[in-house]
Amino acid sequence: MLAFGLSAHAEDNARIGYVKTLSGDANIVSGETTSAARVGSALKLGDRIITGANASLGLILKDNTVLSLGPDTEISVDDYLYAPAREALRLDARILRGTLHYISGVIAKLKPEAVTVRTPTGTIGVRGTRFVVKVAD
Amino acid sequence: MRELMNSTRNKAFLARRSAIGLAGALLIAGCAPQSYLVLLENPGGGTGKVLVTGPGGQQASVERAGDALALAADGPRPLMVDGDQVQRDFGAALAAQPPLPESFLLYFEGGERLTAESLARLPAILAAIGRRPAADVSIIGHTDTVGNASANEGLGLARAEAVRKLLESEGAKPLEMNATSHGERNPLIPTPDETQEPRNRRVEVTVR
Repeated sequence: MLAFGLSAHAEDNARIGYVKTLSGDANIVSGETTSAARVGSALKLGDRIITGANASLGLILKDNTVLSLGPDTEISVDDYLYAPAREALRLDARILRGTLHYISGVIAKLKPEAVTVRTPTGTIGVRGTRFVVKVAD
Repeated sequence: MRELMNSTRNKAFLARRSAIGLAGALLIAGCAPQSYLVLLENPGGGTGKVLVTGPGGQQASVERAGDALALAADGPRPLMVDGDQVQRDFGAALAAQPPLPESFLLYFEGGERLTAESLARLPAILAAIGRRPAADVSIIGHTDTVGNASANEGLGLARAEAVRKLLESEGAKPLEMNATSHGERNPLIPTPDETQEPRNRRVEVTVR
């Protein structure tokens, strides 16, 4: 049981989701490394995703949370735990600028209070839903 | 109790705010760039709720599709936005939405052998993988409560692995195909221990 829990956790931290759609240029900043996003790019905890002036990008996290970004947008996923078997559930994302479309996944269904999307001027608590948010420069 | 009082105060505050602010909000929505959110209907119908907490702890929530909140530096407040504005601001983000994840439940005769009906579902799973340019797949095995918990942990994993191998042998090549087990801990139909229940002998395949 312990071993199962630990391996599930390690796995969550490795790959938390994938880029599914891309139009135009976008980058993924992972620690010190910046790489061009492509369809199929893996996302890790703490990665920042940045879309260019005419770009848009869609991604899906392991718990089926769907995030899609409009142009000139920057987001990061700062905390992510998805191990329903041991009730470890947490999603904390941040939008620094631009536009984001959010559709709830399993984490929001199982533990709504565990999901937050932060903006520079307010923290959004998500109660199983879909919304769009814009952060103006 | 304190929370209740705060929330009552906030409501009164917001009511005053929206009464004075309505004309202003309409004006603002038309021109100046600003931060705001709009609640939308869920893909399956129905609408949830969002609660916004501002920098100073001020709170506001929306529960109806189409309702909006301005995310102002001095806290969230109700906002009027029209559909054209939403389309202008969010059209690109909405269009970038990938196909939603699809889930399939497969059932077992016992052991690792799929029922005939579930075997016949495999082409639909392969098609769901094939439709997506960058699919990732999770396969979670479950058991009923017959036998001890640790043996069922293993049986759930064996079922998930069996489905993974079947999909691979049919040519599925997703980015990732992950087989795990919940054993008897997560029954579809709750039962006492040592209970035969075909609906709990299952594997859940999610194609993202």
